[in-house]
Amino acid sequence: MAVKDVAKNGKKRKQSSEDDAPAPPTMTVGELEMLSDEEDGPDAVSDDGEVDEFPEIDTRSDSEDEEFEGLDEGDDSEEEGDGYEEEDDSSDTGSLHVFPKAKTIVSDITGQPKRVYPEIEPDYDSDSSTEDDPNRVGNVPMHWYDDLPHIGYDIDGKKVLRPARGDELDRFLSTVEDPSAWTSVFDKNTQMDKPLTTEELDIIRRLYAGEVPDAEYDPYEPTTEWFTGKGKEEIMPLSSAPEPKRRWVPSKWEKQKAGRIGSQPSSSHPPPLPAPKPRLPTNSESYNPPEEYLPGEEERKEWENQDPEDRDRDYLPQKHSALRLVPAYDCFIKERFSRQLDLYLAPRIQRVKLNIDPSTLIPKLPSPSSLKPFPNYSSLKFTHTKGRARCVSVSPDGGWVISGDESGKVSLWEVNVGREVKSWNFDSQIGALDWCPRLDVSYFAVTVEEKIHFIIPPNVHGPVLSLTQALLAPATLPPAPTTPSPVKWVTPSTSSRSMDTPILTANLPASSGLPTQLAWHRRGDYLATVSTGGTQGGVWIHQVTRRHSQAPFKKVKGAVQMVLFHPLKPHFFVATQQHVRIYNLSEQKLLKTLVPGIKWISSMDVHPSGDHLIVGGYDRKLCWFDLELSDKPYKIMRYHTRAIRSLHFHPSYPLFASSSDDGAIQIFHSRVYNDLMTDPLIVPLKILRGHEIRDGLGVLQVKWCSRQPWLVSGGADGTIAVWCS
Amino acid sequence: MASTSNADTSTISLPVVFTTQTSYPLPSQKFMIPATWKRYQLSQLVNKALALPKPVPFDFLVKGEILRTTLAEWAAENGVGEEETLEIEYIESVMPPEKVSDFPHEDWVSSVSCKLQGQFITASYDGHIRTFDYSQATTSSVHAHSAPITSICLVPSSSALDTDTDTHIIASASHDLTAQLTQLSLRAPTKATPLATLHLHTAPLSSIASNTTGTHLLTASWDGLIGLWDTSVPASDEVPDLTPSERERKKRRREDEGLKKKVPRKAPLGVLKSHIGRVSKALFSAASGEGGGGGGGTAYSCGFDSTVRVWDTENGVCVHTISVFAFSSSSDSIKYPQTASEKPFLDLAPAPAPAPAFQHTVLAASTDRTVTLYDVRAPTPTQAINPPISFMHPATPSCLSSQQSSTHQHQFVSGAYDGIVRLWDLRSVKGALATFRAWPGAEKVLSVDVDWERGLVGVGGEGGFAVWKVGNAR
Repeated sequence: MAVKDVAKNGKKRKQSSEDDAPAPPTMTVGELEMLSDEEDGPDAVSDDGEVDEFPEIDTRSDSEDEEFEGLDEGDDSEEEGDGYEEEDDSSDTGSLHVFPKAKTIVSDITGQPKRVYPEIEPDYDSDSSTEDDPNRVGNVPMHWYDDLPHIGYDIDGKKVLRPARGDELDRFLSTVEDPSAWTSVFDKNTQMDKPLTTEELDIIRRLYAGEVPDAEYDPYEPTTEWFTGKGKEEIMPLSSAPEPKRRWVPSKWEKQKAGRIGSQPSSSHPPPLPAPKPRLPTNSESYNPPEEYLPGEEERKEWENQDPEDRDRDYLPQKHSALRLVPAYDCFIKERFSRQLDLYLAPRIQRVKLNIDPSTLIPKLPSPSSLKPFPNYSSLKFTHTKGRARCVSVSPDGGWVISGDESGKVSLWEVNVGREVKSWNFDSQIGALDWCPRLDVSYFAVTVEEKIHFIIPPNVHGPVLSLTQALLAPATLPPAPTTPSPVKWVTPSTSSRSMDTPILTANLPASSGLPTQLAWHRRGDYLATVSTGGTQGGVWIHQVTRRHSQAPFKKVKGAVQMVLFHPLKPHFFVATQQHVRIYNLSEQKLLKTLVPGIKWISSMDVHPSGDHLIVGGYDRKLCWFDLELSDKPYKIMRYHTRAIRSLHFHPSYPLFASSSDDGAIQIFHSRVYNDLMTDPLIVPLKILRGHEIRDGLGVLQVKWCSRQPWLVSGGADGTIAVWCS
Repeated sequence: MASTSNADTSTISLPVVFTTQTSYPLPSQKFMIPATWKRYQLSQLVNKALALPKPVPFDFLVKGEILRTTLAEWAAENGVGEEETLEIEYIESVMPPEKVSDFPHEDWVSSVSCKLQGQFITASYDGHIRTFDYSQATTSSVHAHSAPITSICLVPSSSALDTDTDTHIIASASHDLTAQLTQLSLRAPTKATPLATLHLHTAPLSSIASNTTGTHLLTASWDGLIGLWDTSVPASDEVPDLTPSERERKKRRREDEGLKKKVPRKAPLGVLKSHIGRVSKALFSAASGEGGGGGGGTAYSCGFDSTVRVWDTENGVCVHTISVFAFSSSSDSIKYPQTASEKPFLDLAPAPAPAPAFQHTVLAASTDRTVTLYDVRAPTPTQAINPPISFMHPATPSCLSSQQSSTHQHQFVSGAYDGIVRLWDLRSVKGALATFRAWPGAEKVLSVDVDWERGLVGVGGEGGFAVWKVGNAR
């Protein structure tokens, strides 16, 4: 507490000294080093300190207060205990109590010097315990009386009033008058200032200096030998048991451990490489080399003219007849320095560097010329003048192409002449069209807004035509389905039928939007359509012979992009925006969900074997799925610079094509194996360019001719190109 | 090497031996020809050496290539040293083709024929057969088919009709699954009357061809069948009519078309069945006409199944099949045996020359942009199999035409989808002798017919019909 005070005082004093600079340094009483170095105006200090002391105490918490009080009290009791000013107490041990000092006088009687202690007066004053205690409170915390006008009670039970304390000015005056005021503290018990004793100041000084506060304690007193030393050794053993073997046999476990550490150094810390050794001197470096080592005049000149780094050796052999004639070596410093450099720059560890030829990392692919035939040039072009050629389809016999554009025109033309033979006009955009895969009948389906039209091409052989007509417009209509369907199938009457109008029309429910995709089952009886803009995902499966339509899904998560029938099994692929789901139509359950990792799927196609699926996205990715293998793509390829629009597997050749908004069509060789162990072989073959990009749209659909390696592509520029091998 | 410096080339001479198959042979001796000489100097040399009364321009073939640069440049390009003796064959130059006349059509012209003296016959996608005289006037027009006509041929006057030189029979094949015989009478007023319809095929027909005597016809169709027909007109239907509904439809169509009289329906003599895809062309060999009646003779056909087949029409069997193995088009000349549909053939023509080297050979145009010369004889073990000669085109060659002629023994004409008609010489493999663009744009050429007698090439296609003067007509 006191230390704190003093320290604080110092600080305050400093401040105050700065504030009121003219305060004169007055004489101080104690020589306290701890303070003296900072001491300027001790008088002003104590005053300031006390003024500042109170609010500090008041703001403290109770417990700290108590502590504080206790310390104060202790100080007081000590003070009461000694009463004297005792200087010579270093010889005294134990307590802080200072005994009355003895005087050595010469005895009158004996003539010997003797110690004489002061007389102990046997009155109450002589003993502190019998002193009249000014404390009227008892042993209670003094702050209990903080807000009372009195402190304790006297012997008569009267309140003892707090002694009046002067105001600030009085206090200041008293500090000026009293030279010991800066070493006095306020005692709450007695309600008055008390000067600190020398001992207390000494304690403060010691605490301040970081020493042991007890002045009596000697940290350097000599050791007392209790158990060792002369005459204290134990000679006889405590036990008569013989010394165990492990005391003198090397430890087996330590040896094993050391061996382990030594034998496997490479795991984390390979042993450092040995430092490079300096080259051994050769004959020519001898002080007396054979004559043949000595350079001739020309050699010497040549050596001197060379740059130091070009010389094959950095010295010239010299001959001295005796070793004592060898002069001091002039390159010593240089050589030492280069040796140091050698050591410093030498590699500490040997790094295992992978020397891989980058070309070996590229997978070995067969040359495209060995994978012929594939389409490699544009044989002819067919032009739709009015709008983008959205959709194309090639007849199952490979002879005819139908193409639809955005103005509602469907054209029928020969694959390898490109002459339009017939056209049909509809009043709205063509969404999709596809040829019925059956070979015994010949017709195709065209979707326009909320409608699916079935059309028979011209010039069909008689039996095929009659069979087609019997299929699409039978004399006796199939029985109406038991559950009413919102899809209405309409055939125009025989009289109004003509080659220019569809023979059969399926009216999808109102406001179901444009069916943008059409997928036939391989048997040619079922077809699936995907409408955009409608409810329930817009997926419909139609059966032509029964004239029945159904929506297979009550509700589909996400917008359906595309549907496909499995070529062999009763499976159904549904591509939503980010997933491809495979349903078993006969068991009516979900089989698999494929996650291609594409942000927005644009197209997909299934391999004719039914075991592989390719999915293309607007984010340029193409994923190849091995359906037997995993739900994750077997291969992800990103080779188009714009969104992929259409994909198609060739029905018989190992080829597939992808078209993109960058105006290019890419042809791939895609050989799959029956052997489950062999991965499919995918080889890029050819990039076909020729379609123009219009409004950011490139090639919108590609289809293969069934029997030739020929490709038909429809572009946003309104042209349909036939690419031949 | 002659090309080392200009100073050298002015003095260097190359040893040259001239050969020819024309009627202007030079004595076989070695000439030292300055390396700076071009075609013109060489031609002058030949003319002077022979002392021809009237100068005849010549073209010079060096190792299967027409000389278009100086000899020195040619030698430098081909790496021929100046010591080597060059064998130069010279042929009569082909005059640059000129357009004679243009016959615009409303629709595409699918087939043309210049075989008839004084007349051009065209068949169009609108189903009409038209004839024109040389003054560009339409002499007749008949709506022969309700669907596009794909091919026509003039049936040469056979014994039945050769008394009447103004009456000719035209055979036409169409998308409507029938072929038709139409009689064309050139006496004023010209008149065309349908004689008979030919019923066999179940898919559109791709071609029709007649033998040289005009006794027999061959039709090729998409259904893979080849029909063999005679040219007699039956008195009554040989094939029963179609199903009622079909007949109804036909009737209605006839009514729409303006009511034509019913013609007899003819049945084929035989069916040649071996192709496993669309047959694009079937024709008789040039020699088969002499065999006389009975359909005897040899026929060739080609199809999308990449085969060229040789038929014995008398027995109706396939004698020999050439399955195409593709040769890599690049120069490394590695063979890759391929699947069947490597070279779908679009057209076939007999090789023009009676010369022994080109006898029994046919030219076939395929979609891989080549016209290839095939030997159709059955291979014998002793005979070395040479790789077939291919004539490369930059676009799909769609049609071929050749005619046996004493003056143009090695030349044939091909038309392509890039609108360019090319005149080839069998000995000049690397480049065409002459090319011309039939119409200003890049309209597709669908049919060419060459008549060396008059030096005319009829070109039919997207732009209509045009007649060009080609060759050295006398």
